[in-house]
Amino acid sequence: MTIKRREFLAGTAATGLLGAFAAPSLAQSTKSGTVRVWGEPGPYGGVAVAAMNEWAQKNAPGLKFEIETIPWDGVYVKLMTDLAARRPPALISVESPLAMQLMAEELLVPLDDVADKVGRDRLVPGLKWDFWGAWKGKQYVIPAHHQPHLLLVRTDITRELGLTDPDTWTWIDLANVARTISQKKPEVAGICMALGRNLCTDYHFAALLHQAGGRMFAQENKFEVTFDSAETAEALEFVRELHQFMPKGAVEYSFLQVVDAHVTGRTAMSFYWGRTLGRAAEEAKPVFEATEAFNHARHPKTGRRSNWNDFQGWIIPAQNNPYIDEVKQALTYQQTSKEWLVKYCHSLMPNVAPVYKDVADSAELKNHPFYSSKSKTVDTYFKASLEHSSSTANEMLKGVNPLAGFVHGRSVLAQTVQKVVIDKMAPRDAAKWGARELDTIRKENMRLIG
Amino acid sequence: MARRLRGFTLSDQAVGVLFMVPFVLTALFFMVYPIVEAVRMAFFSYNPLRPDLSAFVGLSNFSYIFDDQLFWTSFWQATVWTSFSIVFQTLFGVAIALLLHQALPGIAIFRGLLLFPYIVPTVVIALIWRWIFNPEIGIVNYALLAGGVISERIYWLSTPEMAMASTIMLNVWKYTPFVVICVLARLQSVPLELYDAAKVDGAGVVRRFIDVTLPQLREVLIVVVVFRTIWTFNKFEEIYLLTKGGPGTSTFNLAVYAFEQSIANLKLGVGAATGVIMMIMLSIGSVIYLRSAGFAREETHG
Repeated sequence: MTIKRREFLAGTAATGLLGAFAAPSLAQSTKSGTVRVWGEPGPYGGVAVAAMNEWAQKNAPGLKFEIETIPWDGVYVKLMTDLAARRPPALISVESPLAMQLMAEELLVPLDDVADKVGRDRLVPGLKWDFWGAWKGKQYVIPAHHQPHLLLVRTDITRELGLTDPDTWTWIDLANVARTISQKKPEVAGICMALGRNLCTDYHFAALLHQAGGRMFAQENKFEVTFDSAETAEALEFVRELHQFMPKGAVEYSFLQVVDAHVTGRTAMSFYWGRTLGRAAEEAKPVFEATEAFNHARHPKTGRRSNWNDFQGWIIPAQNNPYIDEVKQALTYQQTSKEWLVKYCHSLMPNVAPVYKDVADSAELKNHPFYSSKSKTVDTYFKASLEHSSSTANEMLKGVNPLAGFVHGRSVLAQTVQKVVIDKMAPRDAAKWGARELDTIRKENMRLIG
Repeated sequence: MARRLRGFTLSDQAVGVLFMVPFVLTALFFMVYPIVEAVRMAFFSYNPLRPDLSAFVGLSNFSYIFDDQLFWTSFWQATVWTSFSIVFQTLFGVAIALLLHQALPGIAIFRGLLLFPYIVPTVVIALIWRWIFNPEIGIVNYALLAGGVISERIYWLSTPEMAMASTIMLNVWKYTPFVVICVLARLQSVPLELYDAAKVDGAGVVRRFIDVTLPQLREVLIVVVVFRTIWTFNKFEEIYLLTKGGPGTSTFNLAVYAFEQSIANLKLGVGAATGVIMMIMLSIGSVIYLRSAGFAREETHG
């Protein structure tokens, strides 16, 4: 039996009222008004807010939580303009690079009290609270989910062409497979990743950079810029090689276009998060059935299979926020409800992975059709990818990087990639250009890193 | 002469001033104050997230801009985008206005339809054009392929040259109606006697256009070109919504550059300084153009 997302969401509100955990015993709030909550596109933000409204019905009847969906590429601009205009939302579900930047700027409320109530020992093995955002000994971010981008492969095509198991591939194999598919199936691109001047390209390229063993900054050395390196040049060279086998429009692709390319069957492989499978399940059944997710191809020398795992979390703006106490309580309620957290993950499988052991191991979570139709893929997104986690906000998990938000705000990585694929700059020179940009960011924000 | 209003007596001068007050207040609040504030901010470093760190930096914002290669690239691209847009808008605007000036049945309907691109919000237009230009599912490629005009899809927004051409096309399509309206209004007030006299002198259609119509349109075209140049040079939303300044930075103009500096780089001072530079450039350019075009010379020499 398959569950359609709309049907699932329709049932969420009704069942939530019946089955939710009891709210922590708290004094009733007499405040009234709308509590604005920002979330990324997708139904899960709405599910979280439904849980918070359940809390509000019992504890703050005058409050109504409302989700506002912000497109990924608009998050930075929207955040900066609304914070600058002193009208922030009361609660934000945000990607880790921005969370790190805002917490280092001291614009967020410390949430250690919430973390204590949620349970510090609940995290799935391999995860740490720091990954979401801790700074100078304080926890500023409460986990919403983790979300790695992986290598999505149309296994019907690889089988038809007699290609090997994607789990065994190195970069060399991946390029060869992309070439073979492009040559033997001209109507399908061999591979697709974002190459536009946007956040998605930043995230896709960062994974390749980390696989090659390169980094933007050396956290252990006062964030010295390390981008002008042979590893960066190698990752750029690899993008240039793969570019030949991508859809021609890839140089303007962002998140949505990569999903579109895969779901509409215009590419045989893509780098993406679990959203692609969720959409394919609804819109393109054959694509869904044929697609499996794998950890990225190994770098031939380092053996690394780094992904860009977004440790997305909840943050509470400190300034001009009249609902801090209420939001903390509502967030605690949502975070301590296994039932709501399962609904959160189920709302777009397998895009948002559970972060707490009791949720990840629960029978309720596994009561979803993807666990039978895509068990290995779901397991790869939720668990097997964890050992390869990396992101720009915590490169190779070597430490929190508060400069990553600036890097993405200026699309430095995407611009570096575009220097190679559009301007035909030599990878080594593009790496130098990117390093200069990163050095400027570092110098301008020394106050954050000390 | 004095006017009585519910027991008050106001002079004509006072009534005039009274009527001007709303405009003056609006202009002060929405035009003068932002300009003054932008000029002030151009001399400060200002991070909108940390206003407490704001500091006077003298001319360093301007120095930053003039040292930034992207500023000069954006300036050049803004010049290209504005020049091509204005030339095509003027040519098409005059041509379409001449067509619509004919006394044909149902011509009023065409005149009304022509306003469509101009009245639809830019955000709607830009999003529609993104679909139209979509290389895989866009109607433009579909039509060209179906008509046998092209054999391979064109990637309208994926290469620097095509992206610039596409943004120019959008601008021309949206704002040509403005030129048409202005030119058509002027055409309708040209005395018919001038054409009759030219015909008597044996002037053909082309001759009459060059010797009668164009001189009559001269002043309105000068005004239209100045306005359209200022508005196009400053334009932000069309480029940002269609290409976000890409691919790469190939469709950046100065407005997009200022936005990037202000929001992405959190350097509001640099963004403000860019605005000041644009204002100075356009003021100088407009004065030179109006002088060289001899605008309102009769009145001046009156």
